[in-house]
Amino acid sequence: MICSFCDKEFDEQAAEKQCGQCSLFGGCKKVKCPHCGYESPKQPQSLKWLSKIGKRKK
Amino acid sequence: MSSMEVSAKNVRDKTEAKPSGSTHSLTRKVLLVGSPNVGKSMLFNRLTGRYVIVSNYPGTTVELSKGAADIAGHKYEIIDTPGMYSLSPITDEEKVASDLLLKDHADAVVHVIDAKNIQRMLGLTLQLIEASLPVILVLNMSDEARQLGIHIDSAKLEELLQIPVVETVAISGKGTAELLHRIHHARPARSRLIDYPAAIENAISAIAEQLEEDQHLSCRTRSLLLLQADPQAMDTCPVFEKNVDIEFVKDTTGDCLSKLDHSVHYHLTWAIQEEVKSIVAGSVKLPDSRFIGFREKLSRFCMHPVAGLPILFVVLYFGIYKFVGGFGAGILVDFLESNIFELYINPFVVKITSDWISWQPLYDLIAGEYGVITLGIRYAIAIVLPIVGTFFIAFSILEDSGYLPRLAMLIDRLFKRLGLNGRAVIPIVLGFGCTTMATMVTRTLESKREKVIASILLALAIPCSAQFGVILGLLATHPYALLAWALFVGAVFVLVGTLLARFFPGEKPSFYMELPPLRLPRLANVFIKTYSRMVWYFKEILPLFILASFLIWLGDLTGIFQWTIKMLTPLVNAIGLPDDASIAFIFGFFRRDYGVAGLYDLQKGGMMTGNQLAVAAITLTLFLPCIAQFLVFKKECGFKIAAITSVCICIIAFTVGFIANSVFNIFGLVL
Repeated sequence: MICSFCDKEFDEQAAEKQCGQCSLFGGCKKVKCPHCGYESPKQPQSLKWLSKIGKRKK
Repeated sequence: MSSMEVSAKNVRDKTEAKPSGSTHSLTRKVLLVGSPNVGKSMLFNRLTGRYVIVSNYPGTTVELSKGAADIAGHKYEIIDTPGMYSLSPITDEEKVASDLLLKDHADAVVHVIDAKNIQRMLGLTLQLIEASLPVILVLNMSDEARQLGIHIDSAKLEELLQIPVVETVAISGKGTAELLHRIHHARPARSRLIDYPAAIENAISAIAEQLEEDQHLSCRTRSLLLLQADPQAMDTCPVFEKNVDIEFVKDTTGDCLSKLDHSVHYHLTWAIQEEVKSIVAGSVKLPDSRFIGFREKLSRFCMHPVAGLPILFVVLYFGIYKFVGGFGAGILVDFLESNIFELYINPFVVKITSDWISWQPLYDLIAGEYGVITLGIRYAIAIVLPIVGTFFIAFSILEDSGYLPRLAMLIDRLFKRLGLNGRAVIPIVLGFGCTTMATMVTRTLESKREKVIASILLALAIPCSAQFGVILGLLATHPYALLAWALFVGAVFVLVGTLLARFFPGEKPSFYMELPPLRLPRLANVFIKTYSRMVWYFKEILPLFILASFLIWLGDLTGIFQWTIKMLTPLVNAIGLPDDASIAFIFGFFRRDYGVAGLYDLQKGGMMTGNQLAVAAITLTLFLPCIAQFLVFKKECGFKIAAITSVCICIIAFTVGFIANSVFNIFGLVL
């Protein structure tokens, strides 16, 4: 995943590991860039399916 | 580099160079390092062929690809390391890459960079040289760089850096043969290019004296890494050595910090960037292209304290006011409200409910004045969603263009002039997305002082995207009311921020960041970002709006709702608002955008003048944050500070509302 703020790349799953310390008990459904702290919403499952289908067609 | 020069260098290498590192072992080790997306893996495939082993780095889930190559009859193991930006690791991937570099004693370290972004990436090269690693610089995608008019004099670069430099095009395989040759003759870098401030140089020397010589890694780099390590986690530093006197390192670091005006990391980054600039100036010819020139100029204008403001105004006027306020809140909301909900959905729900449900309270819960569908879902879908949706489109365009970091730099400069804290820029900018999340981000700020100042400003004067959008929609038809709202909220922000900065004395740390390029937004990216945000937002607000409707229905049933309205009415009247505006403030307790949506209903019913709308919008913006933000604030700053802040915020909100109303009345302003 590429951070929308600092443009650096990070692993979405690795970034999610840090969410355990969060005080939003239900989870915020966002991913925090480990480089600058900027948060972006997780990509919805529907979009992931679409991109998978797109890749298969290619 | 011409072929003549290549062959000349090859001859020199053959005579002078000896392979470094584990020369005694049968298989030599080569590490491919560099930032993500520079073509490292493609180059890895070029060097190794088909047979690749992919395994996890021990103790982590980070994958490493290993392959083999045969160079001049010698066996080489090539390792494709995870992407890294500097030797001081932040992410797990960077930690693994850093561990491999610092502990694995490679025979050659191939630093792959994207030739188009040489200035952004050369910093790591300098760090690798400083570490005395056997580094080879690979200028990948050199064809694309040339197409863009970027001409890199690799011979000059090689002379300045005193390490081998190879131009490659990984896709076509160009330059691979020369790279293999250079790998075979790699030797440790011996140049020292960067000079840090005296305090840091002294600390480096003092720590270096404590370290034992290591033929693979310079004492300078080991000292620098120890100097930057968190004292609490010194033993996790990649170069931690058991015989190091931790107390001595901590004392030296503390002493060094006391002599610096900014953090060690700041000075290191600054010194590296200055050196990179001078190397690039001596070896890279940038294009004359007007487009690149325009882009660079625009980038500088965006951050300029004077020129940046008209650009910000244009962005706010066309991107937010016209698009979100005019199109989203005007056309789209009108269409959904008048043509969908009022014509079809509400009459249908009312009819079905009255036909099937005879118990009045249950009817009220579904289709009454504060019903789940007629109020909660209508607010969420017909009012908030179109406004927030258009806001997210505008925000995604700004994000993808690279404008936000420049806005952060611009705001940072303004903040400093106001005596505010520069580091708070990221959470404040993020606050326009969601203040709750931004309050969480204050955790990245270094001191409690910074956290408290940023959290209070977020809770008080920064409207979240939903609230901002709905306020724009609400005031779009009254531009002077919108101007008054911006002036009052801006004044409160500046005044409270300045007072807090004085009230909590302390250092004002600097804000700096590596700027990504300014570019034209890509449609696919804007779509993905907008869609992801809308799905996220809808999932979050819909249950809350339904819950709020349910609680209001419950309050209505028990009489608590009417009692609360009665209690709030004098306060609301005092700031010049009609009785019905109390309802919007009660809605605002659940979520501020829910409250503003309530005002939207009043405006549509013709129950509020422009002045009243401005006063209500000012008061609601400054009003208590939503429940989620209060909980996060409590967690981040403690219950006492959260409770005191909430009470102060209520007092400030109504006081400012009262002042605004009085100013409008005294000067006879009609907005």
